[in-house]
Amino acid sequence: MTETAIIEETDANVDQKRKEAYFTAGQGQLIWARFKKQKAAMVGAGLLIVLILSGFFAPFLTPYDPTIAGRNKDYLNGAPNVPSFCDDHGCSLRPFIYSFKRSRSIETNFRWVTKIDTSLEARRYVVFFPQGDEYTLLGMDLSTHLFGVDSGKIHIFGTDATGKDIYSRTLQAINTSLAVGTIGVFIAFVLALIIGGISGYYGGWIDSMLQMMTDAVRTIPTIPLFMALAAFIPATWSSETRFFFISIILGFVGWPTLARRVRTHLLTERNQEYVLAAQLCGASAGHVIRRHLLPSFTSYIIVDLIISFPYMVLSETALSFIGLGLKDPVNSLGVMLQNVTSADVLLNYQWYFIPVFFFITLVLAFVFVGDGLRDAADPYADTKK
Amino acid sequence: MSDILIRANNLSVHFPLNRVGFGERPVVRACEGINIEIEKGSFFGLVGESGSGKTTLGRAMLKAAPISHGEVIYTDDDVTYDLGSLQGAELKEYRKRSQLIFQDPYAALSPRMTVRDIIAEPLEVMGLTSSREETDTKVREIAEKCRLNLEHLRRFPHAFSGGQRQRISIARALVSDPKFIVADESVAALDVSIQADVLNLLNSIQRERGITFLFISHDLSVIAHTCDFVAVMYLGQIVESAPTRKLFSETAHPYTRALLSAIPSLDPDVSGNAQKLEGEIPSPINPPPGCRFNTRCPHAQERCRSEVPEWREYSTGHHVACHFAEELS
Amino acid sequence: MTKPLISVKDLTLRFKTDEGLVTAVNNVSFEIAPGEVLGLVGESGSGKSVTAKSLMMLNADNAVYDEGSKITLNIDGEEHDVLSLKRPAEQMVIRGGAISMIFQEPMASFAPAITIGEQMVEQLMIHSDMTRAKAKEISVEMLTRVGIPEPAERFGQYAFEFSGGMRQRAMIAMALSTKPRLLIADEPTTALDVTIQAQVIDLMKDLVAEFHMSILFITHDLGVIAQTADRVAVMYLGNLVETGTVRQVINTPSHPYTRGLLNSLPKLDDLEAPLTPVPGDIPSPLDRPSGCVFHTRCVESDDIAERCRSEIPVTSIGTDDHRVDCHLANPRGQA
Repeated sequence: MTETAIIEETDANVDQKRKEAYFTAGQGQLIWARFKKQKAAMVGAGLLIVLILSGFFAPFLTPYDPTIAGRNKDYLNGAPNVPSFCDDHGCSLRPFIYSFKRSRSIETNFRWVTKIDTSLEARRYVVFFPQGDEYTLLGMDLSTHLFGVDSGKIHIFGTDATGKDIYSRTLQAINTSLAVGTIGVFIAFVLALIIGGISGYYGGWIDSMLQMMTDAVRTIPTIPLFMALAAFIPATWSSETRFFFISIILGFVGWPTLARRVRTHLLTERNQEYVLAAQLCGASAGHVIRRHLLPSFTSYIIVDLIISFPYMVLSETALSFIGLGLKDPVNSLGVMLQNVTSADVLLNYQWYFIPVFFFITLVLAFVFVGDGLRDAADPYADTKK
Repeated sequence: MSDILIRANNLSVHFPLNRVGFGERPVVRACEGINIEIEKGSFFGLVGESGSGKTTLGRAMLKAAPISHGEVIYTDDDVTYDLGSLQGAELKEYRKRSQLIFQDPYAALSPRMTVRDIIAEPLEVMGLTSSREETDTKVREIAEKCRLNLEHLRRFPHAFSGGQRQRISIARALVSDPKFIVADESVAALDVSIQADVLNLLNSIQRERGITFLFISHDLSVIAHTCDFVAVMYLGQIVESAPTRKLFSETAHPYTRALLSAIPSLDPDVSGNAQKLEGEIPSPINPPPGCRFNTRCPHAQERCRSEVPEWREYSTGHHVACHFAEELS
Repeated sequence: MTKPLISVKDLTLRFKTDEGLVTAVNNVSFEIAPGEVLGLVGESGSGKSVTAKSLMMLNADNAVYDEGSKITLNIDGEEHDVLSLKRPAEQMVIRGGAISMIFQEPMASFAPAITIGEQMVEQLMIHSDMTRAKAKEISVEMLTRVGIPEPAERFGQYAFEFSGGMRQRAMIAMALSTKPRLLIADEPTTALDVTIQAQVIDLMKDLVAEFHMSILFITHDLGVIAQTADRVAVMYLGNLVETGTVRQVINTPSHPYTRGLLNSLPKLDDLEAPLTPVPGDIPSPLDRPSGCVFHTRCVESDDIAERCRSEIPVTSIGTDDHRVDCHLANPRGQA
C-alpha cells in the first residue's frame, strides 16, 4: 500500500520536475528540445558531424597524401580495392585485398590490362595504424594513418588518371569545400549584419537606399560575374590565394539574401511591444539592441547561416567544375569532377563518381538540419491562446 | 495650488501619411483639441471605440506619441514638465514617474527574459538601484504585491496564463515607483473571471500608493466600476466628461447615451432601448465637418453639420460638446 | 416532439501534442432544435471552439475522437452521423451546405486577393448547381439583406475595403447564402465595437426568424447571450457544467462556476458593488484536475471538498430540463 503511494508520489514529483523544467527553460533549451523530436533533423545532424569530422581528420583517416606526391604510379585509373574477409582459400580475421599485375602486350591491343592474382600468397593484408606519408594536423607533425596495407597501396575508392587515391582526395575535398563555405558564409554574414542591421534598425530613407543597393547586387548573375573574375585572376597566383579569392567572392555575392533576412527580423522585432516598454523606461538604443533585438534574432540567423552553407558549397562546386574556381592541387569536389565528362571515364572508370554521394549527403544534411532548426526555432507563437 | 497631476490643453496629435499622387498630404487626425485634467490620486477612465484616438491620447500623455498642437503639462510635488519640450535628462526623469501597462499580455513581455529580469529591467535601465541585491529585494517586494512568488520569478513568460502575464506587466510598471500609470486596455484580452482580479489589483495599488491612473478601455461597464471620473471619446475628440456617477445619471451627449444602450443587458427580458446607432465610424483622415458625430447622431440638425460644438460646462464637473445637450436630456 | 436538428452525445476529443495527449473536450452532450439559438459560453481553454469545429469536422489532423462520441445531424428526415463521414464529397454536404460557420476575425476569413462577391459566388456554386448569374443575383440579395449599402458595388470590392462591422455582415451574408440549417457563430461580435455589435446582434435575430435556422452562438460575453439565445450551455475546461434556458441559467444559476462568472461581471445597475473574480487561474489543459474539473477554484464546496476532488459529478436533470454537473446540486449522487 505504501509502496504504491510512494511510486505515485514519485511519479507526481517527476511530472512536477518536468513541468518546472519546461517553465524555467530558456530559449536555447526549448529549441533543442523541439529539435530533438525531429528524426530527419537528428539524422542530418549526425551525418553532418560525421562528415565534418571526416574532413577535419582527413589526413589521419586516409592512407595516402592526396596530392601528386602520394600517387601510385603502378595503378593508374585503378578500380577500387574492396577488402574482403573470406574467399575460396578460407577466411581470415584480417581483411585483405588482392595483388594485381599490370601488363600490356599485343594481345591486349596495347592497352594496360590488370590481372588480379587471387592466390593465397598474393594476399595483402590490411593493417591498422601504420606509419605512412607525413602530414600536419592541429600543429603536430604526424605520420600515423588509420589503416594501410602491408605491401603496396590500397585504394578503396580506386585511383584517377594520375594514380592519386580517390578516397584520400574525397575526404580532403570535403574539408576544402567546408573551408570555402565557412569563409564565404562568414564574410556574407558580417556584411549582412552591418547592412541589414542598419537598414532594419533605422528604417526610413536609409532603409530604402540600402534596399535598392541590396537588390542591385542580388540581380547580378553569378556565372558571368565569375567568368569575368576568372579572366581577371592572374595566372601567377598560387592555388591557395586563388582559394581565398574565390571564397571572398562567394561571400560578397551571397550577402544580399542574408541581409534581407536580418533586416526583416529587425523590423519585426523593433515593433514588438516589449521593445516599446523598454524604450518607455528610457532605454538607450544600445540597450535595446543588446538585450532585446540581438537575442531575438540569434536563433533565426543561425538557421539562415546553416541554410546558406549548402548554397556556398554548391556554388563553389559548380564553378570549379566548369574550371572557373579552384584548380589543382587545391582539391574540392568541383575539381575532382573536372575530368569526369569524357566518355572514357563514363564508360570505364565509374568510381570517379563516388565522391558525388558524399557531397549529396553533405548538402542534404545541411538542409535537413537547417530546416529542423527553423521549425524548432519558430513556434514561439504556440504559447498564445 | 491645484491638485491636477497632468493636464492637456487643446492637445492635437496628427500623423501625416505618405502622399498619394499630388496635392496635400493626408493626415490622420488622431486627437483634436483635447482638454482634460487628471487629478492626483484619481482613477481616470477614457472610453471610446475604434478610431476614437484614446490609445493615441494615452501615449501622448507619456510622450510616446508626437504632440502636434497644444500642450500637456505634468505637475507633481517636485517637478513641472511641459511634455512638448521635454528632452534629455528631464525626459529620463519623466520616464521614471510615468509608466504604461499594455493591452496584449502575450506581446508585452520579452519571451527570452526571465520574469525576474523583466521586472528588474526598468530598475537597471534607469539606474535606480546600485547593487544586484538591492534590485532583487525590490523585485521580490513588487512581485509579492502582484501575487507572484519566488518560483515564478525564475520562469519564462511562456509558463504563464494571460492573467498572470498581465500581473507581471503591472509589476514591471510599478517597480520604478511611478506617480502616473496609463493602463491601455489592460484587461481587454483577459477572460472575464480574471478581469475582476486584475482590476481589483489595480485599485488596491492605487489606494495604497496614491498613484494616478489613466484607464483606457472600450468597455463602459468596466470603467464604471473602477473609475472616479470618465471621459468619452469619439473620432479624436472628447465629447463628454464627468464624475462616473454623473455620467450615468445625467448623460448629456447622444453618443454616450448610444454607447450605454448598446451594452447588452444581462436580463433577457430587457431589450436595448431605441438608441441604436446606424452607419459606420467615419475615417479619422477625413472627419465630418461640424460636430464629428453628426453622421450617426439620431438628433442631428443643420447646425450640427456646420458648427463645431464648443466644449462647455454642463453642470459641476460635467463637461460636454454638443449643441443640444440641454434639449435632449 | 420534433427531432433535434443536431445532437451531440458524449463527445470527447483529445489532441496529440508534443507534451502528450491533451483533452480538449470531455464527454459533452447537447442538442439543438430547429430554429433555436443555443449559446455556448466559456472562457479560454473551455473547449467551445473545438466543440463547434467538431460539428463540421474542422479540427486539426492530430485530433483524436473517442470511440463513444457521436454527432447526429437530422435534415429532412435523414440522419447523418457526422463523425463517420470520411470522404470529402460527403463532408461537403455538411460543410457550408447544411451547416455554415462565421468566425471572430472577419479579416482573416476572407481571402485578401479575391473580391467578396467572387467568394460568395464560389460558395454557392460549390453547394448547388446554379449558374454564375443566378449565384451573383442571390449574393447581391443577401448583401442587401444584411444591410450593406450599395450592395452591387460592394460585390466587386475586396475585403480590405470593408470596415470591421461590414466585413462581419458580409461574412454572415456569405454564410447564409446557402440557406444552412445551422449557423455556427464563433465569437462573431468579440472583435467589433459595441455599437456595431448591437447592430450585428439585431441582424442575427432577424435572420433567425426569417430563415428559421438554428444558431450555435459561441461567446464569452454573457450579456450577448442573454439578448440572443434561447438556451445556454456553460463550458469549463472541456466539460459542460450547466445547460438550461437563458432565464434559468442567468436568473437561477445552479453551478458554482456559472455563479462565479455572473458575479465577476461589472454590472451597470450597481456601481458600488465590489468586483469578485473567480479565484485562482484556469488550469492548463495538461493539468486537468481530478474529480470535478472545477474543484480547484470552487468556493462553495468546502463541506464536500473530498468528494469534489475524487468523484466526477453525475449530471442531474432538474425540472424544465435544467441540467447541471455538480455534487452540491446532486447530494445523493443520483441522476
